[in-house]
Amino acid sequence: MISVSPEIAKIKNVVAPTDLTPEQTALQMNNLSLFYGEKQALYNIDMKIPKGKVTAFIGPSGCGKSTLLRCINRMNDLVDICRVDGEILLEGKNIYDKDVDVASLRQNVGMVFQRPNPFPKSIYENVVYGLRIQGINDKRRLDEIVETSLRKAALWDEVKDRLHDSAFGLSGGQQQRLVIARAIAIEPKVLLLDEPTSALDPISTLTIEELINELKETYTVVIVTHNMQQAARVSNYAAFMFMGELVEYTDTNQLFTAPEKKKTEDYITGRYG
Amino acid sequence: MKDWFKSGSPWIWMTAGAVSISLISVIGLLVMIAARGLGFFWPADVYEFDVQQADNKQTIIGEIYDREQVPAKRLKNMGIDLGDFQGETVERILIKTGNREFVELDFRWLLQTDIKKTDTPSGLGVFERSRNGNFYGYVDKVILDGQQVDSARLEELIERAVDISEQAVDLQNGEIGSINYRLEKMRLEERALELKDKLTDERIAEFEQERKQLKESYQEFEKELFQLRKALDRDEVVVKDMRGELVTLRIAEVLDVHFPNDMSALQKLGRFFVQLGRFVTDDPREANTEGGVFPAIFGTVFMVMLMAVIVTPFGVVAAIYLHEYAAKNTVTKVIRIAVINLAGVPSIVYGVFGLGFFVYMLGGSIDELFYPEALPNPTFGTPGVIWSALTLAILTLPVVIVSTEEGMSRIPSSLRQGSLALGATKAETLWRIIIPMASPAIMTGLILAVARAAGEVAPLMLVGVVKMAPTLPIDGNFPFVHVDRKFMHLGFHIYDVGFQSPNVEAARPLVYATAFLLVTVIVALNITAIGIRNHLREKYKSLEH
Repeated sequence: MISVSPEIAKIKNVVAPTDLTPEQTALQMNNLSLFYGEKQALYNIDMKIPKGKVTAFIGPSGCGKSTLLRCINRMNDLVDICRVDGEILLEGKNIYDKDVDVASLRQNVGMVFQRPNPFPKSIYENVVYGLRIQGINDKRRLDEIVETSLRKAALWDEVKDRLHDSAFGLSGGQQQRLVIARAIAIEPKVLLLDEPTSALDPISTLTIEELINELKETYTVVIVTHNMQQAARVSNYAAFMFMGELVEYTDTNQLFTAPEKKKTEDYITGRYG
Repeated sequence: MKDWFKSGSPWIWMTAGAVSISLISVIGLLVMIAARGLGFFWPADVYEFDVQQADNKQTIIGEIYDREQVPAKRLKNMGIDLGDFQGETVERILIKTGNREFVELDFRWLLQTDIKKTDTPSGLGVFERSRNGNFYGYVDKVILDGQQVDSARLEELIERAVDISEQAVDLQNGEIGSINYRLEKMRLEERALELKDKLTDERIAEFEQERKQLKESYQEFEKELFQLRKALDRDEVVVKDMRGELVTLRIAEVLDVHFPNDMSALQKLGRFFVQLGRFVTDDPREANTEGGVFPAIFGTVFMVMLMAVIVTPFGVVAAIYLHEYAAKNTVTKVIRIAVINLAGVPSIVYGVFGLGFFVYMLGGSIDELFYPEALPNPTFGTPGVIWSALTLAILTLPVVIVSTEEGMSRIPSSLRQGSLALGATKAETLWRIIIPMASPAIMTGLILAVARAAGEVAPLMLVGVVKMAPTLPIDGNFPFVHVDRKFMHLGFHIYDVGFQSPNVEAARPLVYATAFLLVTVIVALNITAIGIRNHLREKYKSLEH
């Protein structure tokens, strides 16, 4: 059992996710199901993701947590045989509506992947990539955004002297922070992190976790992680998924200290997964 | 023994052997072509042989071209008297005697047994002439405007003559050619107006006026040309040839003289490079058996570049569609296999297609639509460099498509997703990430395409190449690039010189030299492309994980 003292949980006095008011909700999933051809990967998921908090999806491999995350910015659209039922509301608007422009949705919902994937460009060009896509080319403005984004991603001090060098010259951890800077440069409302530290060493992991803590001040963060300690450390809310179903979703302290469901308890105590 | 097999050594020996054999054959090929081709430019010594056949005594002057051993028995059977020769084989030497207008053959075989004396006398000159090939002989006297002058001034006089004839050629191809071009343009303009029923008397008068002006300036230039020609006729040189007779050569016809027997090795080296330079920069003469190959080099490079400009965008766009947009089903697979198999179609088939479709159908329609005034003379409806480039573009299209597609599938999907996740559309991702990263692969395709296209001859014979093109596809007359013109090509030049030449012996070294040049041109084109590709690779190398 991962220890979070019940006292602290009480002091925080967190709202249960089901009780979130519309103002506190960033994303709301209603009866969301997903199919890969004939095979169903997600079953009727209902959940509200709180604004300005970190929500973690945990669960064993293949439980559908990454798939659910990719539903939020419609990355699953890239898979030809994928079909989605139900709705995801972003600020009250269903992102699966026909009139939704996927590109502008993704500008609002940024994503960071498992492995760092900087483009074969300079550090500077990597950060401004999303801005250039939006047609912003004003040098002064770009310079400003590069600095603020890199500062937010805690990378500025390390790269400020070599902004125009190739991004491939950075270490893995630096590259992942660069990718985060690239994602926040376009100021999304929601930031999706798909196992962002699984390819990194412990020290880089720590830096990224600290970064996530700061990011929640500005953004709604949703993180998928294999690492339960990490979920306990960085998240405010946690959802446990199993076989494509949302088993339990509550504030992190409660999930790790007093899970309601047997399956959750088995998983976090390490009986499987 | 069994252990030796198990250790894998035989395998290593076998594979290494295969590599060595390939390497040896490639190097051997290059060395042979280079040696034979470049040897042609080396100023060889000129020999003087005293020959006695039966009672017939004569002197023969010339360069040694070839040597071979002939069995003595065979010669005896042919009724040739070898005197008291006892050996098994006799050496036979091939001599280039030049002086084509005074001998039956300018190449002749001499038996070593007939040669009584061999010498390389000083003062023997080799005169390179614009007509009738080389002349070998001793300078007897030099005549300047009817007066005999010091023989040392020969080179100075030749230089003057070469200068003047260059001026004459420039005048002819430049100013006079341009007037002819404009006259022809005007005739077509007039005919076009006539066809449209818009030819008023006023316009006719204008045309007449302009024509008169052009003709006047033409006559001026013509006068200038005649003056140049007259100036050219001033000097002569009298040469004593191998028959011992004095022959008068017009300096106007002499392009160059050198005395190889009196040259030091360094002078010979200098001359070697001068000759090499001339070969690369001069126009061919005497049905391509003399002179340089500049128009062929120019034509080859121009046609290949035109082809590259056509094939790259087409191939890349087709590959993008196949890889990015086409549904991944059987039809796409069949199309892809069909494209790959197109690379295996014999090139002459493309030539036939190019002639039927491009030249006759497409070119013919263009003529009818845009150049009716020139009919029945075709403008585009005849083989030309644009049709050659298009035909070769189709021929090399599969190569570009396949390598571009391969390059695109090598790009990690994480980069594609990264771009999409930042709000880029598929098209933006293509332009900003995929195509730049696939550019080294595109260059690879282009390298293969250029290598294949530069060496193709068969299809070109149908769609645009000629033995002798009077003008280059690029010149000073508007619109400067004339893609409808026919052109010369190094590959075809080799075939033409080697197989269609009236003088086989004279042409042989040219075949090697041209082949060596063709290889050099292709290598140069490829090295350029490889340089660009390496630069792009460095720039866009993707993450290695």
